[in-house]
Amino acid sequence: MARHNPAQRRYLRRFFPAMTAYVVVLFACTWAIRHYHPQGAALFLLSLLPALPILAVIAVMGLYLTEEQDEFVRHRLVTSMIAGLGIMLAFATVWGFLENGGVVPHLEAFLAFPIWCGCFGLVQCFLNLRDRMSGGGQ
Amino acid sequence: MNNRLRVLRAERAWSQQDLAERLEVSRQSVNAIETGRYDPSLPLAFKISDLFEMPIEAIFINPSKENAQ
Repeated sequence: MARHNPAQRRYLRRFFPAMTAYVVVLFACTWAIRHYHPQGAALFLLSLLPALPILAVIAVMGLYLTEEQDEFVRHRLVTSMIAGLGIMLAFATVWGFLENGGVVPHLEAFLAFPIWCGCFGLVQCFLNLRDRMSGGGQ
Repeated sequence: MNNRLRVLRAERAWSQQDLAERLEVSRQSVNAIETGRYDPSLPLAFKISDLFEMPIEAIFINPSKENAQ
């Protein structure tokens, strides 16, 4: 049987181009800002552009959730996403208060998405490990 | 929810993968249902019922009746 189902294959076909676009746009915009020192609307546009492929990645993840036909896989993904969101919100709350007290450095807001991805990935790994330990094999 | 899926599958000498392919779901789904970690939706429960040609309540154990026993 194929390693990925059709919805997962579509997800990967959309995810990798979006991430490639992110890397290319990020480097191009950073280079342009450093070399041309744009102002006003140009600076606004160059600062905004790297966010667009990330918005595309979020949309790709949402599309996958709607297209996944296996209800257990979908349930598992939603559970992991919500748990990851809870961890990320808890982390951001604690970090925010520590930052307010000058104990830790400032964290950029755009880190919220990768931190959430990391958290929900870890939750998925934990759930998969738990399944295997409780007789997930044949 | 407790169920007789593992027994019914074993009676037919099907692996979890065999059953998963017949139900058009992943092997993880079959495993999660068999071990009671995931309760299938009504459409999937009917699909399982059709496949084994048995009523749903003969495959899945009604939790309220289970407690009464």
